[in-house]
Amino acid sequence: MDLLVFVLLLILTGIAAGLLGSLTGLGGAVVVIPVLIVGFGATFPVAAGAGLITILATSSTTGSAYVRDQLTDLRIGMFFEIATVPGAILGATATVLLTHANLNAALSVALGIVLLGILPGSVRRRHEELPEGVVPDRRSKSLGLYGEYRDPVTGRSVRYEAADTNSALGVMFGAGVISGMFGIGAGIFKVLALDHYLRLPMKVSTSTSNFMMGVTAAAGAGVLLAAGYVNPFVAAPAAMGTALGAYVGSRVLPGLTNRSVRLIVVPVVAALAIETILRGLGLP
Amino acid sequence: MTDPEPVSPGAAEPDVRLPLAAYRRMAFVLRSGLVASLLLLAGGIAEYFAHHPGATAQAILATNPIAGYLSLSGLARGIGRGSSEALLTLGVLVLVATPIVRVVSGFYYFQRGGERTMATITLLVFVLLLFGLLVFGPFVK
Repeated sequence: MDLLVFVLLLILTGIAAGLLGSLTGLGGAVVVIPVLIVGFGATFPVAAGAGLITILATSSTTGSAYVRDQLTDLRIGMFFEIATVPGAILGATATVLLTHANLNAALSVALGIVLLGILPGSVRRRHEELPEGVVPDRRSKSLGLYGEYRDPVTGRSVRYEAADTNSALGVMFGAGVISGMFGIGAGIFKVLALDHYLRLPMKVSTSTSNFMMGVTAAAGAGVLLAAGYVNPFVAAPAAMGTALGAYVGSRVLPGLTNRSVRLIVVPVVAALAIETILRGLGLP
Repeated sequence: MTDPEPVSPGAAEPDVRLPLAAYRRMAFVLRSGLVASLLLLAGGIAEYFAHHPGATAQAILATNPIAGYLSLSGLARGIGRGSSEALLTLGVLVLVATPIVRVVSGFYYFQRGGERTMATITLLVFVLLLFGLLVFGPFVK
């Protein structure tokens, strides 16, 4: 395939990835990696390296908009990076050192099951615009894990606070491991941890997930760069397209209701969970 | 029109400890890093096309063009001679560095606001990031 055509197709793929990633908090690597492998015959390491760069582009693009609008919770995002960063370093190391196929397959199945296990809670709250009955734990109170944003949909200020930080810390560490291992942002886990355990409004969950993902990706980047997994000719067009798609998404998200965002996120997460299980089982 | 009452799921107080400037500065850091990186990546791609008009995707996918430019001296030499691979590598490195600079920025604001716990956590994240990038990465390789 001619390189110019390849670059243009990758930019288009990136636009789709950035748009979806910015709205759902999933980063976008979940789109770029399969397209590279199935559509362009790239090896998994090259696709994972490009996925990593895609995440960084989505995170910085959406971060610059959502942080400015205070839709991203800086305090919560930066606190939970203490769990995702060591997880990502561990995961990236495992990718390079461990090549046991059964381990990856078993992990994929386990992850898919965990995701499917968390999903029903999110589905049950599909009519809920804002979390109700949130009881902050001691850590949440002592660290001030609460915030406020102005919702352009209602024109009102929305206050929120974080609940179960212990469970969220565990899921965030797992998200870091997955991020490092598979070259994805593991935004699925971050969004669900922020939504399901911390009980943040959905828009805050997706924007904070995207914000955190940049740091998680940067943590795994050292290992993947040194191992030669990042091919800039693949990563560059993907990053350029992703930034454009994420920019469009970052203009759209604030105008959506939390319910609408959940309606976008849940089916995508369900599809990814099933795909992860099937891949782990070696089924098409 | 009167300003409506805040909608609150609980009894939280608004976060007054992180100043608005912190949000603006961090947004600026992320935007600047992204724009610089995208310019370098676009420049690298354009430079490559200018010198390799008949290149194919298969040839690109089979190479690891970044390998020679991961050291500071290699990168500087490559930039000096206008290598497209060096420009692309620098673009990737700027993109990786952007969230790290954001973490440093967060540390500054937490420290300045007297929030010792959050400042310590942010500093620890920064140290772990450096460890992953500069020590663990090359070691695992």
